[in-house]
Amino acid sequence: MNAATAHGPPRPLLPDRMPPVGIFWLFVLPFAALTAVFGVWPIILSIQTSFTASATALKPNPTWVGLANYVSIFADPVFVASLWRTLLYTFLAVVSTITLALLYALLLHSALVGRGRTFFKLAIFLPVVTPDIAGYVVWRWLYDQSFGALNMALAALHLPTFGGLASTSTVLQAVLIAELWHHVGFYVVIFLANLALCDKGQMEAADIDGAGAWQKFWHVVLPQLRPALLVNSVYALIQYLKTFTVVAVMTKGGPNDATNFLSYYAYQLFDQGRYGEATAMASVLFAIVIVLAAALMRLQRTRPAG
Amino acid sequence: MQRPSPWLKALAIITATLVSVICLYPYYWMLVSSFRTTQAILSSPLRPWPEQLSLDVLREIATVGGTPLWRYALNSVLITSASTLIGILVTALGAYALVRRPKFWLFRCLRAGFMVTIMYPYMLLVIPVYIVMYKIGLLGGYSGIILFLALGPIQFFLFEQFFQTIPRSIIEAALIDGASEAQILFSVVLPLAMPVVATASIITFLLNWAQWLPVLVVSRSPDTYTLPVALLNLNGELGVNFQGIMALSVLTTIPVTLFFLVAQRRVMSGMTAGAVKG
Repeated sequence: MNAATAHGPPRPLLPDRMPPVGIFWLFVLPFAALTAVFGVWPIILSIQTSFTASATALKPNPTWVGLANYVSIFADPVFVASLWRTLLYTFLAVVSTITLALLYALLLHSALVGRGRTFFKLAIFLPVVTPDIAGYVVWRWLYDQSFGALNMALAALHLPTFGGLASTSTVLQAVLIAELWHHVGFYVVIFLANLALCDKGQMEAADIDGAGAWQKFWHVVLPQLRPALLVNSVYALIQYLKTFTVVAVMTKGGPNDATNFLSYYAYQLFDQGRYGEATAMASVLFAIVIVLAAALMRLQRTRPAG
Repeated sequence: MQRPSPWLKALAIITATLVSVICLYPYYWMLVSSFRTTQAILSSPLRPWPEQLSLDVLREIATVGGTPLWRYALNSVLITSASTLIGILVTALGAYALVRRPKFWLFRCLRAGFMVTIMYPYMLLVIPVYIVMYKIGLLGGYSGIILFLALGPIQFFLFEQFFQTIPRSIIEAALIDGASEAQILFSVVLPLAMPVVATASIITFLLNWAQWLPVLVVSRSPDTYTLPVALLNLNGELGVNFQGIMALSVLTTIPVTLFFLVAQRRVMSGMTAGAVKG
């Protein structure tokens, strides 16, 4: 334990005389136990299982099959289609989430909205803390062709009806709308927090220089929003790559596999006892999450400071 | 600054109102539909108020999938409260130790392990967690569900961020006075941390109330299901009891909605702070 405390120079934030790690072991122990049992161990187990035969995966001595599960999933056209579908959906969802959240945050932050701001903020954030199952169940029935309030309303306004969850051409939009409803408030509030920290002096200087609204946005506001942009895109990326609940509640992957995303497909295989392939898919998805999140952070870091 | 034109102002308020209506309408429709019979909704789904205000539907959903409704409600309260309590205690202590000894290599490994865990696609983490629980015999009981739900990213970041802001001089002074680390924790740090503890507890409660897949996977029978899982089951049943589904959605939503409205400032600022750190 004394050797441990000798590690590295003390952080400036901390007292110079570092007492032994001693009692901190005790503090950290339950947290370490939970992280190990419900985090690190299952992840290692998952990676390990992806190299074993499904039938023996739960046995003490599983049969090692090398990369066979990975070869098999990439030879599975349903998986490959699901992979591309997941990436495409994630791209569309991240872009629309960030754009809508940014625009709405700018609107709420501006002097235009006035005293209603608190209410508008509450309204957009309420779905975030609403149990997703309940929210998606309601949306599923709003879209429904026979119960559906949505098509009834569209018809009353003489607008074309929406295929909703029943048609392969509209189901992705329908799922995305429900997901935006559930998630976008979170991103709005993060942008708002960042906007509140923005330097007002710069805005005034831009005003004096006679900058137009677009110039101000592009050269003054956007550079200052970089922290929120980074956090929001990483969060949205991780969140949409693992899209699951909305599919489990609203579409079960259908119609015709149109919403069979990676998480959902892997979970179905797990349900059928195909542990090897399910965990191989989990590893692929995990690798994608790590690579894309790391790339985003890198991109943000190397861009010259605005 | 030039003054915004009244037209622009009106346009902004109309836009924000429209967005709010889209956000809130599903709640309204759910609430109204829970008072209307399935037949009545079929004939006019958009009717803005119910034909009658009766709670008869509660008798229809008094049992869902052979288990009484009160059991699901009790499970929800029990599992959410217990996992929140344990989660806050464990995470606060853990984050505190990691902040106080950030250079210690084992603690750094632990933090890295935790980061990897929260990056891992949560729904797919449930698969291997099922296998782990099978190995250590936690399947089917409350303890497995509660312990699994106790771990979460937002509460960790909230605590870590807060502990990093405690000035070193305060802790140094206590050390010079001869206080032990345990004394420092309980009489110096904890009183300062009470607002964060409150914020993190509320957020954890809201998030854990909504959890469903871990509950579904770890359970061996509906005896340990929570309200969201019961709702999922009812929604998947053949022969749609539409009114019952809406009523159960209302029951699942109302407690957290009220809780959020009471603590909205704390929840919104807490979730932002917890996220910005990540």
